[in-house]
Amino acid sequence: MAEENADIGGAKQPLAEKLAARIVTFRWVWIVLTVVLVGGFAAGLQHLRFEPDARVFFAEENPDRVALDEFEAAFAKDDNLMIVLAPKSGDVFTTDALTFIGEITERAWLLPFVRRVDSLTNFQHTYANGDEMIVRDLIPDPPSVSAEEAADAREIALNRVELVDAMVNVDGSVAMVQVMFRLPGVNTETEVPSIVAEAEELRAEWAEAHPDVDVYLTGSVVINNAFASAGAEDGQNLLMPMFIVILLVVGLALRSAFGTLSVLIVIVLSALTGMGALGWSGMPINSVTVLAPLYILTLAVASAVHILTAVRQVMVETADRKEWARRALTDHMGAITVACVTTAIGFMSLNFSISPPFRELGNIVAVGVMAALFFTLTLLPALITFLPIKRRTERAATNRLMDQLAEFVIANRKALLPGMAALTVLGAMGITQLKLEDDFVRYFDDRYAFRVDSDFTEDNLTGLNAIEYPLETGTSGGINNPEYLKAVQGFADWLRDQPEVGTVRTLTDTIARLNMNMHADDPGFHRLPDSEEEASQFLFLYELSLGYGMDLTDRINVDRSALRVSVALPNVTTAEIKELEDRAMAWLQENAPGVTTRPTGVSHVFTLISVRDVPAMLLGTFVAVILISAVIMLALRDVRIGFVSLIPNLLPAAVAFGLWGYGVGAVTLAISVVVAATLGIVVDDTVHFLAKYSKARKEGRSPEDSVRYAFRSVGMALLVTTLGLVAGFGVLAQSGFAVNGDMAKLTAITITIALVADFLLLPALLIWLDRRRESMPDTTETESKPAAALGVLALTAALAVAMTAGIAAAQTPEEKGLAITKEADRRDLGFGDFRAKGEMVLKDSGGNESRRAFDNMVLERPDPAFGDKSVIVFTSPRDIRGTGLLTFDNIEPADDDQWLYLPAVKRVKRISSSNRTGKFVSSEFSYEDLGSNEVADYDYKWIRDEACPTDAALQCFVVESYPRAPKSGYSKRVGWIDMDEYRLQQVEFFNRRGDHEKTLTFKSYQQYLGQYWRPDLMTMVNAQTGKSTDLVWSDYEFRSGLNERDFSEQRLPKMAR
Amino acid sequence: MREISVSNASQKWRAKTSRFWAPLCLAALLPAAAGAESDSSGLSPGYTEFYGYVELEGTFFFEEPAFEGQERHDASIALAPSFLAEWEDGDVAFTATPFLRLDAVDEERTHFDLREFKLDVTQGDWSGTVGNDIVFWGKTEAVHLVDIINQDDAVENIDGEDKLGQPMIKVARLTDYGEFSGFYLPYFRERTFAGEEGRLRSEILVDEDAARYETSQEEWTPGFAGRWTRATGGFDLGASAYHGLSRDPAFEFDLTDDGASLIPVYSRITQAGFDGQYTTGPSLWKAEAIWRTGQRNLDFEKEDYVAATGGLEYTFFQIAETDMDLGILGEYAWDSRGDDATALFQNDAIAGARLTFNDVEDTAILFFGSVDVETGGTFLRLEAERRVWDSWRLAVEGSAFLGIDEDDIAADFAEDSFLRAKLSYFW
Repeated sequence: MAEENADIGGAKQPLAEKLAARIVTFRWVWIVLTVVLVGGFAAGLQHLRFEPDARVFFAEENPDRVALDEFEAAFAKDDNLMIVLAPKSGDVFTTDALTFIGEITERAWLLPFVRRVDSLTNFQHTYANGDEMIVRDLIPDPPSVSAEEAADAREIALNRVELVDAMVNVDGSVAMVQVMFRLPGVNTETEVPSIVAEAEELRAEWAEAHPDVDVYLTGSVVINNAFASAGAEDGQNLLMPMFIVILLVVGLALRSAFGTLSVLIVIVLSALTGMGALGWSGMPINSVTVLAPLYILTLAVASAVHILTAVRQVMVETADRKEWARRALTDHMGAITVACVTTAIGFMSLNFSISPPFRELGNIVAVGVMAALFFTLTLLPALITFLPIKRRTERAATNRLMDQLAEFVIANRKALLPGMAALTVLGAMGITQLKLEDDFVRYFDDRYAFRVDSDFTEDNLTGLNAIEYPLETGTSGGINNPEYLKAVQGFADWLRDQPEVGTVRTLTDTIARLNMNMHADDPGFHRLPDSEEEASQFLFLYELSLGYGMDLTDRINVDRSALRVSVALPNVTTAEIKELEDRAMAWLQENAPGVTTRPTGVSHVFTLISVRDVPAMLLGTFVAVILISAVIMLALRDVRIGFVSLIPNLLPAAVAFGLWGYGVGAVTLAISVVVAATLGIVVDDTVHFLAKYSKARKEGRSPEDSVRYAFRSVGMALLVTTLGLVAGFGVLAQSGFAVNGDMAKLTAITITIALVADFLLLPALLIWLDRRRESMPDTTETESKPAAALGVLALTAALAVAMTAGIAAAQTPEEKGLAITKEADRRDLGFGDFRAKGEMVLKDSGGNESRRAFDNMVLERPDPAFGDKSVIVFTSPRDIRGTGLLTFDNIEPADDDQWLYLPAVKRVKRISSSNRTGKFVSSEFSYEDLGSNEVADYDYKWIRDEACPTDAALQCFVVESYPRAPKSGYSKRVGWIDMDEYRLQQVEFFNRRGDHEKTLTFKSYQQYLGQYWRPDLMTMVNAQTGKSTDLVWSDYEFRSGLNERDFSEQRLPKMAR
Repeated sequence: MREISVSNASQKWRAKTSRFWAPLCLAALLPAAAGAESDSSGLSPGYTEFYGYVELEGTFFFEEPAFEGQERHDASIALAPSFLAEWEDGDVAFTATPFLRLDAVDEERTHFDLREFKLDVTQGDWSGTVGNDIVFWGKTEAVHLVDIINQDDAVENIDGEDKLGQPMIKVARLTDYGEFSGFYLPYFRERTFAGEEGRLRSEILVDEDAARYETSQEEWTPGFAGRWTRATGGFDLGASAYHGLSRDPAFEFDLTDDGASLIPVYSRITQAGFDGQYTTGPSLWKAEAIWRTGQRNLDFEKEDYVAATGGLEYTFFQIAETDMDLGILGEYAWDSRGDDATALFQNDAIAGARLTFNDVEDTAILFFGSVDVETGGTFLRLEAERRVWDSWRLAVEGSAFLGIDEDDIAADFAEDSFLRAKLSYFW
């Protein structure tokens, strides 16, 4: 391998050499810079939080998601917990079992955020008693149920279409209690886990108390929770094996403890940087991005190994450690830069995916890989000079294996070329066997208890996949129309006849039964009523008699123009769902022409997600191919070779998909992003091989000799790094979460095939293409790879900017909210300073008052990077007269700077201002409320426009703002800002639990200096305690001549005088 | 007796220095006068305020007096009215705060002081003060090492928090690099000591009238001081230097026909000090250190020394979901002179807690204890206060001395643990 050093490190690359020398000279700088950089990024780790929701896979703008949101707004968001009971006796209609069900029903009401509990016992049974219609719980008092009553209940339940296969199975051996929740959606990372944790505790208790009954837990909250816990578990379980694999591969390749250590340092720092960037971005982790650090670890290894392999070669010649670093850098800087940049481009193209987790994964990995590039080229050389890496003077064993391989390829090239082509075509044909399968329950394998529970539920009771049909009449109150009701009933009946369908829930069943009840339980009337009046009367009566939480708002929309038909599908595939949906739409068009509908539901969105993502990612992959090819052409300064490189770059993914199609068939939406993600990785091998080949060619060697040379110089390194990558992705493939597992498996297969293609196909192809050219002209100019690398970097930067700009083009509610807030802020800019007198009137719920008066002085700091400065000086009560508080507002999450002046001891004290939530002088205003609210302290979302609550003549924007400060006492604030002058009219504060805590209203706005609006009265009412505080302002004086000096801790005593 | 001598001294001081002061006062008033013309309000102030407090105090000592003449109880009244006049939007201000305490038991504790009697002038970056004022330096809570401008009013309290007004000329300039201030202190204030009937005194009485100075100009020995303070990021830093008479006397044993007495001896010292605080989240890290030369120690020998103190104050906000904040404090104080130190804290660990109720009445409780690391001598202190009516404030404070070693500087206070209640009216 000494040859390589000779021909790359020669006088041809003065720039690379110069750069390498600089890097080694300033090695201390890199260490310091690394510490600063990693520290800065890693500080973002504290902001990382988990998002337990299957819906993270749906982008806000995904049209299916939009439809789902609209549906849920009209009816209800079905967050449910299914508690499934299977008594070992095989009968749920016993006193014991029914008592247990009753107990569960009662207890379930105590779960957090519960909205409704449905079970056999509280099923709203209706029957006629003379002229009267009775609505009662099916089993009002379970412990007192006699054997006959239980048998009656069985009779009733198993004949009710609403119950069979929903709350109880056909033979009465399995029952379910269904708990519905209304999640506030405020503390998304705790709401769902808190429910599931409590449910699991209950399950444990019940298992002890009722050993004769098996209890299973499933439903959407459990699934959503699994999306978070599965991710976290994956991250934990796979991290150690990943490290062991990396240590093994790198250790074997380098055979140096300190060399391995330095590689570990570089990759761990890269992963930290990537995850830190995620933290700073404020996006929650999800079950896909949780594996991002493992991706980065795997990808970062290769570059570091390249440098250390080179060091191993240089150390034979000299003992000068700096020389080792210089030479290794000079030789590999260019190729490593190209490799990392192409990898980053490949991952960044995941931004084209419609599924946000993949976009985030792509960006994190891209950041991590670029960090790896930086650390490999700066920190690693520094470490090489400092760490006591043992010098070896014997050459590494020559690569006899590679020489043999080269000879084999050259000898058999005429057979290899068509042979490989045929294999490729054959392999790729397997793609036709691929079936897109996105069943969010089956994303998880049997390792997860909930999957086992879900399977039991699907086998014995009902399906977890549900399609929702909101059947819209188009007229308000139109649901009582007998024609419409018949159509709905017909649709439900048709659905029940379909083989895929488990259960169908429709209100028409209830209405039919009510009709019968109203006709003295005459079975002849078990049909829909004939007139609109009857239908609406029966429903009205029924709704009046329903118990708490049993109402029909989740079945009928608000203006009563649509009913909802819910279809549960046990054990179906995505394709079957799709097919059923198509048949259903056809049936509706034919049999219910006046009714409009669109299927929706979480399952429905998942059904379509791959279908939507594949075309989106095709575009992304295309862009990535163009960019990466451009990078290669730029780096190799050869257009022809760039085109040739496409073949070994694209072919592996096609073959990998084909093999998957033959072998497995079903694939999740991970497949759509694999090509783009692997492209950047497989390119590396091609680039290394082609770089050596074209170098040899330009030196006048024959194609055959050039292939030999390429094999000898990089063959072994490619083999080792590819093995490392395959091993790493092999570890990731062990994930029990199918999206991650599929992606890792496909990546590992693709990389393996890429190596085979690079070793067997590419050389044969090159020799064939170059058969008529004896040599290539030497077009190498004085500046080569480093310059190309700089060009590539510029290109990457441009790409990043373009992508960001493209995403920002449309105005989302978030952008509108921010724009409104910015406008309000802009209108208040430039006031300079003001002083005013304030008086707080604290009122408790008993009407007692207590007052505090103070002078307030504020100095504007125009730089948006800083908040304003203010001084508050108390004038009463008299014992705190002269107490001064100086505050420099800082942008969250930084604490403000705050000083307190105590006149009794004439002392200015710097005090802690980390308390955002504490009450300011025991008023209803917290420190957070009184601090100047800077735009950058919150994230915003415009909600709607409406009349201002303070003055109906004014129109207001309603904007929600979410504090960025982790220490904030609020989960959100809802602000009403009038459209005339952008004045805040009212703010509602929601505490961290998501409950409405306080309301602040602004009254009697006055305008000063013809521009700045200030209220004379601010009233804060605590909705929970009934206490309130009026803050009365007077004597405003703008531009009163205050300046920076007055707002210093040294002048605070003067200001407080 | 005592307040007469003080006011005599202050009259003398005024007469003697009027020549010297007049031009400075004029210079200070110039900008005010200049501004006043344009203001057309003449020399009458733009703002005046009369405020202050009167305080009733009762003290109960837990143990019988250790020395003859002392009492078990004490009752006292204090009055501190203030008058403030401002010109030029507060850029020129005159403040007067006389302080008078009448004590039922200890005639030495009955005393008068001009806490403030000063003219403050602020012009742009510059500011100046002429007259009697109280100036605090430092960061730490239990021990104030760098704070040296004012003499302790030790009859008020032995904790060094109450100070006597110090005559001074102060000039300060605020820059981008912090504030630099220079002090000229023309006159020296002697420390106050409890009299024969008072508790918290030494067994052998201190004869203040016999105070001895190791300089020829005695109490007219000028003092000079300089200080720099700056807040930057989370740091608040201060550096200071002082040259002049020590505020801490050494004592000479004197035996005359009237009996034994201790004579306070004030020597000239030079001191350099540093104080700093780092504020991060709810943590306040505080430190002070001084180096002093020329100070006589307990053995009446001049010994250069270094002393340092520092620690952490940490606040738990809204404990147990109430509005209350709990601050905990840990500090350590060290003095290179060890047992010969004139300071109460020379190798002591201090721990305390401050509970702030954040209620309408501004209720707060401070409790701390200090333990001498070597002798185990312990000092406990409790301060609790609460507003009772709109302008009234009730405070309870207690001190306890436990296991005080016979050689300890506080040995004579060993029996003087007390509980004190104060009711103050503010107007």
